[in-house]
Formats: sequence, C-alpha cells, structure tokens
Amino acid sequence: MTATQLSARAEGRSGSRETQPIALVDLLDRLLGTGVVLSGDVLISLAGVDLVEIRLRALIRTVREEEQR
Amino acid sequence: MAEQGRYLYAVCRGLDVDELDGLLGLGDGLVEGVESDGLVGLVSSVDLDEFGEEGLRCNLERLDWLEMAARGHDAVVQAAAAVAPTAPMRLATIFRDDDGVRRRLGEQHDRIAAVLDRVEGHEEWSVKVLTRDHEEPVPEEPPSSGAEYLRRRQEEQAAQQTERRDADEVAEQVHRSLVGLAAASRRLPPQDPRLTGHSGTMVHNAAYLVPRDLSDAFSARLGDLTGDYREVLIDARGPWPPYSFAMLEEQ
Repeated sequence: MTATQLSARAEGRSGSRETQPIALVDLLDRLLGTGVVLSGDVLISLAGVDLVEIRLRALIRTVREEEQR
Repeated sequence: MAEQGRYLYAVCRGLDVDELDGLLGLGDGLVEGVESDGLVGLVSSVDLDEFGEEGLRCNLERLDWLEMAARGHDAVVQAAAAVAPTAPMRLATIFRDDDGVRRRLGEQHDRIAAVLDRVEGHEEWSVKVLTRDHEEPVPEEPPSSGAEYLRRRQEEQAAQQTERRDADEVAEQVHRSLVGLAAASRRLPPQDPRLTGHSGTMVHNAAYLVPRDLSDAFSARLGDLTGDYREVLIDARGPWPPYSFAMLEEQ
C-alpha cells in the first residue's frame, strides 16, 4: 500500500499538527516545478526542466507498473 | 578527490546557522550559511562527479538517486523553515563557490526578499479531491444484441460524466471554502493515477499558503469538508514548507 492510500484511509484525521512526510510524487512536483530558480553564473540550474520531468514521470510510472505485477 | 561545488538548498532571512546544529546535507556535507545583506543562503559541498552536468544527466534518470536527492534537499528546507522564513530553491542549484552564491543573492536581493515577505509566518497545505474508487461492476448477462450493447455503454458513459461533473462542483466548493483561510493558492496539474496509487480521477490538486496562526482553523475546516462531501475523497497533507509559493516574480 502506498503512503497516499494510507492517508486516504486516514481521511478525516488530517487535523493533526504533526508535519506529515511528503509523498515523493508531491515533493518532485514541487522541487522540479516550483521553488526559486536562479540562473546566470550558476553552474547548474534545472531551469528548463520540462524534458527531465517528463522522463521522470515515465520512470516512476514504470516502477509503479512493475510493483503492481 | 573529485571537484566540489556548492549546492544551494534555500535562502533564509535572519537565520543563525548554529540553530541548525551541525545539520548534514546531501552526501553528508555540513550545511553552512552564505550571507549577503540580511539573506542567508544554505549551502553544502557536493561532488561534481555526482552533481555536475554530466553526472546529473545520468542521475536524474535514476529513481533511487532522485529520491535520495529530493529527500536530502527537503530535510534541509524543513529544518530551516522550522526556525526562519525560508524560500526553498529548485532541486539541483549548484554554484562553483560561495562567492558565486553571494553574488547571485546580491543581484536578486529584492526579488528574494519579496518571496520571503510573502511566505514568512505561512505554511503550505496540499489538498486534492478525487472521485471515489469504482466498485467492480456486477457481471451482467452478455448483451443480447448490438443495440443492447450500445445502450449499456451509453448509460455507463452518462453515469461517468455525471459523476465527474458532480465531483468538479464539489472541488470548486472545497476550494472556495479553503481559499477564504489562505493568503494565496496555486492550482497544480492533476497527478496521474499511476503516480498517486489512487484509482479515482483527481479533479482538484492545489496548494494553499496558510498563515501559521490559521493552521488549526484550516485543519478544522478540512475535517468539516471531509464530513460534508463523503461522495469524494479529500486528501489533505501538511503543513509543509511553502514550496509552491517560493517563485520569483517576473522582472
């Protein structure tokens, strides 16, 4: 069972003050899609991340499908 | 020893790095502060074999590496956000040295300060609304004719469309109710069911920037909404650092 499914079962108890761990898919949406982007004399910056992101999604999908087998 | 770069996790304001108590970042590098005019960039040293352009290109394709990097980045952001206003950086922002970090913080000072003003004293909540999982359909008699088959298909499709429309309306009401307690909100693209593990359709995926002193009220309202709208699944998570609201405004 994934963390997301677990949380779905725990619905209604979302009022806890404890910070919940971020599911990887949510974290990647944020770390690759938002956040401060600095370019310029930066050595490395994932400013143009679209391609990477698409490949990532494909990868995660593959993993999920393998898990479900 | 491989060449080293400086990985920037986040920019904070008024942070005393000693408060982080020897926090270790990616590859167990010590997290240090680079100051520039009231801003503190949190950095640690990383191997450019791993985090340079070549290395990253390969590593970003590996889910285990990506998860390690994302979790390591998040751990530093969470630690900082617990003690000071924090603007998280996008994953993998790497400088050659601290002078580069300092120069960039100086150049972008006002825009970063504007982000910190926006997120200070706030936390992010994630709220998703999904349609409920479908029960396995009861096996029916096979259709007696092509016309019978078509009739059944049309009924199924009409039922699905109604359900989707109802869920969209619920999502809109949930959003309207929550946004009243939030300083800002951002709609995110719905996630693929194969990524989330939910089989229902995600009709709403949003981030809410909630003032810390309204956090309990926000939680309570989520509880009420979950009770009021049992026909959908409301998946709420938080509070998190304000990742979705740390975007620099266009110049």
